[in-house]
Amino acid sequence: MSEPTGHAEKPSSACEPAALTKKPSGDPEPAALTKEPSSAREPAALAAGHLWGFLTALRAAGVTTALPKQADLLRVVGASPPRDLTTLYWYARITLLHDIGELAAFDRVFTAWFRRGGLPDAVPPPPSGESDAPSPQGPGEDDPAPREVLPGDGVEASTLSTYGRRDFDAAGDRWRSVTRALEAAWPAVLPSAPSRRRRPARSGDRLDVRHIWRRAHRHDGEIVELRRRARPPRPRRLLILVDVSGSLRRHTPDLLRLAHTALRAAPARTEVFTFGTRLTRITSALSHPHTGRALRAVSELVTDADGGTAIGAALHEFLGVPRFVALARGALVIVISDGLERGDCVPMVRATARLSRLGHRLVWWSPLACSPTYRPVTRAMAAQLPHLDHLGGVRDLATGLAEVRRLPAVLSGPRRAAARRPHTPRPTRARS
Amino acid sequence: MSDGFPPAPGGSFPTAGGFSSAVGGSSSVPTAGRSSTAGGFSSAPGGDPPAACLLDERALAAALEREGYFADEGLRTAVHLALRLGRPLLLEGEPGVGKTEVATVLSRVVGRELIRLQCFEGLDAGQALYEWDYPKQLLQVRVAESRGQEVGDLYREEFLLRRPLFRALEADRGAVLLIDEIDRADSEFEAFLLEFLGDFQITVPELGTIRARTPPVVVLTSNRTRELHDALKRRCLYHWIAFPEVDRERAILRAAVPGLEERAAEGLVRAVQRVRGLPLLKRPGIAESVEWARGATALAEGGSPWPVALRRALGLLIKDEEDTRLVAGHAEELFRDV
Repeated sequence: MSEPTGHAEKPSSACEPAALTKKPSGDPEPAALTKEPSSAREPAALAAGHLWGFLTALRAAGVTTALPKQADLLRVVGASPPRDLTTLYWYARITLLHDIGELAAFDRVFTAWFRRGGLPDAVPPPPSGESDAPSPQGPGEDDPAPREVLPGDGVEASTLSTYGRRDFDAAGDRWRSVTRALEAAWPAVLPSAPSRRRRPARSGDRLDVRHIWRRAHRHDGEIVELRRRARPPRPRRLLILVDVSGSLRRHTPDLLRLAHTALRAAPARTEVFTFGTRLTRITSALSHPHTGRALRAVSELVTDADGGTAIGAALHEFLGVPRFVALARGALVIVISDGLERGDCVPMVRATARLSRLGHRLVWWSPLACSPTYRPVTRAMAAQLPHLDHLGGVRDLATGLAEVRRLPAVLSGPRRAAARRPHTPRPTRARS
Repeated sequence: MSDGFPPAPGGSFPTAGGFSSAVGGSSSVPTAGRSSTAGGFSSAPGGDPPAACLLDERALAAALEREGYFADEGLRTAVHLALRLGRPLLLEGEPGVGKTEVATVLSRVVGRELIRLQCFEGLDAGQALYEWDYPKQLLQVRVAESRGQEVGDLYREEFLLRRPLFRALEADRGAVLLIDEIDRADSEFEAFLLEFLGDFQITVPELGTIRARTPPVVVLTSNRTRELHDALKRRCLYHWIAFPEVDRERAILRAAVPGLEERAAEGLVRAVQRVRGLPLLKRPGIAESVEWARGATALAEGGSPWPVALRRALGLLIKDEEDTRLVAGHAEELFRDV
């Protein structure tokens, strides 16, 4: 182990870890590093270059390493050169990594750069970005908007009857009353969190002493009444993710109407997305006060309706956009989907687990669960169940209303309770 | 090696106050702790570096072990770097792997006061930083009136209620600040905390700005029930504490349970490791296995044969009815070498 002696007037070489010279044989670099000290500049530069290469490779592999963290690593390596590769590994892992989920990628890159000495396999960065721009309507688009039902129109059948049996067909009055009931029900069930700021209130946990004082000054220092301050409750956000894939085509219009009632009830705090093969944010399109026009606007925007299903990919797309993640944080998240994922269900389960961690509560509504004999036994749903707070059945507005009224119990109950409900037996997972 | 730093991307390092450059010919021993002043490390000016002996990793490991905490190399490195760089340390892991214990032991090792802030939903600055003691102020007013004196200034230090973060700044010799279960607090509190961790100072409008004499060693723990903000993670060193491997868990049990025999500990640890492999709702942590060993030892001293004692004390390891049934179904393979 030969080590170049330090040259005080040589910049940019403090990050030369002595351990880098202890590479396994077969690596091109040790040859360069075991030169005589007179040409010490080269190995130092090589080692520094190697470390930079490693950091760059990490970025390319999709491991997020912030600049201050990289600076930390270089500072540590420069100040106390690691004894061996294990020490270097821990230095790098503790300073650079910030989520255990990225460990696998990190390990791969580290091994490639320091234990094998080869170049890492190029890992394509995860696709990010969003496609909110409306694209031209695809031929598969057939979500005609219902005719508006205005007060005084009398009984009006929906033009959506091509979707099979409709519960409110020829029953416009009943449908209207259900819609109204929904709009009344939503605000009452939305969870709230205490806001950060205290405001004067009739009853509160703190005395508003400043106020009391000012009053007391007028009465020559005598306190004649007490004022209080409290933290007023602030409604949490509501995030609705609606599945519009082909397996749900019968229910899609109704599910969108359900989302519309939520948006009308709490316009400032509600966000609605649809997903089929890709993710679309429809909050603004759906916010038109008229149901019919809102649905028309949505059908122009959503181009993947009645197509295939890629729930996992769509949810990952959602979680890949920091703005959207911020919408889910601390919110009541409602996913309306049958959970029938084609192919590998692992991405979907992972995304659900993360949504569950982000949100205040995660509720999953499935049209299939309306049937009393339904059991979440498909591999995907069984794996999801431990992450859900509640699994309910919603296929139209009436069942939606029943589920909305059930929300307060879910919100006050324990987290991740869907798996413990008495009526849903424990899913049979693969026993190892 | 040199005294200078490589230029950082998009910024420049503080010039170090003279690092010990690794001279010494062919010695591959790192010179950590050999008179390297931490001037370039401490993030806040005027901060005392921790004692020089602590900058040596081996000394730190020995000190932790003396306190009965068996850390693997990853955790040792994490603690070492947190002391060295003066950065907060974010610890994640399953419940019961000893995240909180790290801070407790560390405070004993570095000889500083431990100040704990337990997070919960709705925690606000008033509960974390400081509040004015209004009842006391009111009393002061009344007393002054009854004596016919001037009321004077009611916003003095004596009317200040100091909460954990405030006390961590005021500690004379610095403190070990444990921010426990940060994932339980809401994200607004995280943003507030970020500001605090950035410069370790608090501005009280009536008193002015209070700056830490010695920046505290900060340990944050999280159970991952909620995603933390990237900005907070960027500030912290990060370590995931995994379940311990067999040897380390045996060492922990031997240290924590006095009456436990070597062979019994061996079998018990193997059983715990197998139980963790089952698809349980709540996998037992170190705390549970220690409790289990204690319970079984007590029962064995009372006359139960060891395997029977283990099964009778199973309620200390598994604390969920469904899990208990699952473990009972696999009892044969789990306890085969007990």
